[in-house]
Amino acid sequence: MDKYPVALITGCSTGIGLETSLLLARQGYRVFATMRDLKKSSSLRQAAVGLSLEILQLDVDKPASVKKAVSAVLKKAGSIDVLINNAGWGAFGATEEFTDKEIHAQFETNLFGLLRVTRAVLPAMRDQKSGRIINVGSLAGKMTFAGIGLYCATKYAVEAVTESLRLEVRPFNIQVGLVEPGVIETRFKDNRRKAQTFFQEKSAYQPVMEKVFAWSNERAKGAPGPEKVAGTILKALRDRRMALRYALGFDAVWYPVAKWFMPSFVYELVMRRMYGRFLKEPA
Amino acid sequence: MNSRPVVLVTGANSGIGLACAEAIARKGYRVYATYRNPRKAGHLWRLSRSLPLFPLLMDVNRTPSVQKAVSQILKKEKRVDALINNAGFVMAGFWEDLSDKDVRDQFETNVFGLLRVSRAVLPFMRKQGSGKILNIGSVAGFAALPGLGAYSATKFAVNSITEALRMETRPWGIDVTEINPGEIQTSVVQNARLGERVKSPQSPYTPFTKYFENFSKERFEKAAPVEKLVGVVLKALEDRPMKRRYLVKLDDYFTYYLRWLLPDALWEWGLGIMFPWSRFPR
Ligand SMILES: NC(=O)c1ccc[n+]([C@@H]2O[C@H](COP(=O)([O-])OP(=O)(O)OC[C@H]3O[C@@H](n4cnc5c(N)ncnc54)[C@H](OP(=O)(O)O)[C@@H]3O)[C@@H](O)[C@H]2O)c1
Ligand SMILES: NC(=O)c1ccc[n+]([C@@H]2O[C@H](COP(=O)([O-])OP(=O)(O)OC[C@H]3O[C@@H](n4cnc5c(N)ncnc54)[C@H](OP(=O)(O)O)[C@@H]3O)[C@@H](O)[C@H]2O)c1
Repeated sequence: MDKYPVALITGCSTGIGLETSLLLARQGYRVFATMRDLKKSSSLRQAAVGLSLEILQLDVDKPASVKKAVSAVLKKAGSIDVLINNAGWGAFGATEEFTDKEIHAQFETNLFGLLRVTRAVLPAMRDQKSGRIINVGSLAGKMTFAGIGLYCATKYAVEAVTESLRLEVRPFNIQVGLVEPGVIETRFKDNRRKAQTFFQEKSAYQPVMEKVFAWSNERAKGAPGPEKVAGTILKALRDRRMALRYALGFDAVWYPVAKWFMPSFVYELVMRRMYGRFLKEPA
Repeated sequence: MNSRPVVLVTGANSGIGLACAEAIARKGYRVYATYRNPRKAGHLWRLSRSLPLFPLLMDVNRTPSVQKAVSQILKKEKRVDALINNAGFVMAGFWEDLSDKDVRDQFETNVFGLLRVSRAVLPFMRKQGSGKILNIGSVAGFAALPGLGAYSATKFAVNSITEALRMETRPWGIDVTEINPGEIQTSVVQNARLGERVKSPQSPYTPFTKYFENFSKERFEKAAPVEKLVGVVLKALEDRPMKRRYLVKLDDYFTYYLRWLLPDALWEWGLGIMFPWSRFPR
């Protein structure tokens, strides 16, 4: 290959997307870093001086925006070799209390948006008979935690998407994989959207959710940074045969192993204990 | 008689829903058997003459329809003891052959619909301090299949929702479980929808789709009778507490434990033998 591989990345205004686009650009990829709001591009722009990195607008929720960005990349670079589906956010609240609208919004970005970009990119990858797609999943795609049940449901679905898509596009020499970080210190916790009812006194779940929320904020402190995830993504791209899953972070690697070894009733006891603490502790 | 537990079943006019509604009513529970299409409710009305089974209109895709049905039940019974989230369908097709709308429709019923009905009954279950929710998942909820990606993704999501609800609602004495059947003899295949571009001559997946159709036809020839699943549902209704998940056939246990035991690479190698389209001539 005499030309630089072309990478399209979603959700690059902050966090994992931003770090990944910088790392790939430094490693010789021609990077198209996309974000839904170009007003947030200054930190990436400053960090990317001198690198082969271009910033484009792409809101994964909007079909027109996805189409426009993908055809812009194809026009400029002629191919797309790598797609990193990173854009996503977390809904926070009790499963019972989300509205239809909140449920739709959460799935729209984390799942339907991911599929929308993937489907837009696949024809080009099939034509060129090569390509790699990495979905940014999560530990939350393998274990469900109370208070982020809806987010977990989107990430479980992303696991199913990756597992099935991987086999569907393999005949076209396209590889699909999943990077599963545990808790990472990014703007993720600030970008979380709480269920509206969260703020209402009448919510029966409010006291316990408040404590779960505080606890999860605490956990994000001192967690690995997004550059760790970028490193894992690069490793996946370099593996000749990309594996299905790449977990990273102590929690993402070891919690599922523990879950795997425990009989399911023991696992449930442990999870319930954890959650039960929040029920009992005074606010 | 009015002290008999009240059970709400969604998608009860056909297949698993119908069989469960009837069997549960025979056990003496008061069953609200819901359907979305009045023209398909004939059988339910006939059953309602001899059993404590009450047909009721409910389209799980529509919030007003769900709320109306639930409030009718509560007005009459002042309680709801169990909910069986069964309404669902299969959207078949390779991912690239599905449109945005196909994917959204699949989730609207299988996931958002399930959440919609659960959310409608949960406030009352919390008030009465008891209740059971049984979600009809699928083997596809822990083992995703190519050609059935969208359906698998909905059932993976149900898997997670079951787990979350189980933890979150337990303090109010509510118990949530999931039943993960493999192939069961119902109209599920006839009622399956095909993605927008599945039959398009331009689809690059046509040979694989054909292969997959044969594969699933063969699998469904070995489908278990619905009674087998009904037995499991009846058991779950009586279990206290309910298990995290119930499997149905020996086959399903086999898939479950294989998926659990095998590393990804081995599992995929197996799937590669089942779906050998990487080796198809092109
Ligand atoms: N942080 C963690 O602990 C963690 C753990 C596991 C997995 N993850 C996953 O990692 C991914 C990135 O998260 P992060 O930690 O880097 O969080 P982040 O700092 O909040 O970044 C999320 C990025 O996604 C973008 N985004 C959100 N909705 C979008 C849309 N509709 N269209 C395009 N872009 C959109 C955001 O853009 P705006 O700036 O415009 O909002 C932002 O650039 C997510 O998929 C998340 O689920 C995070
Ligand atoms: N059969 C299997 O092999 C199998 C295996 C694993 C899991 N399952 C699951 O079992 C459940 C029942 O399937 P089945 O095999 O009994 O298939 P089925 O005979 O096709 O029955 C599906 C039922 O769901 C109803 N339904 C669909 N969309 C609805 C909506 N929006 N609102 C209300 N009702 C709706 C259908 O109503 P209409 O008649 O009006 O369409 C029908 O009554 C599904 O969740 C399915 O995923 C089935």
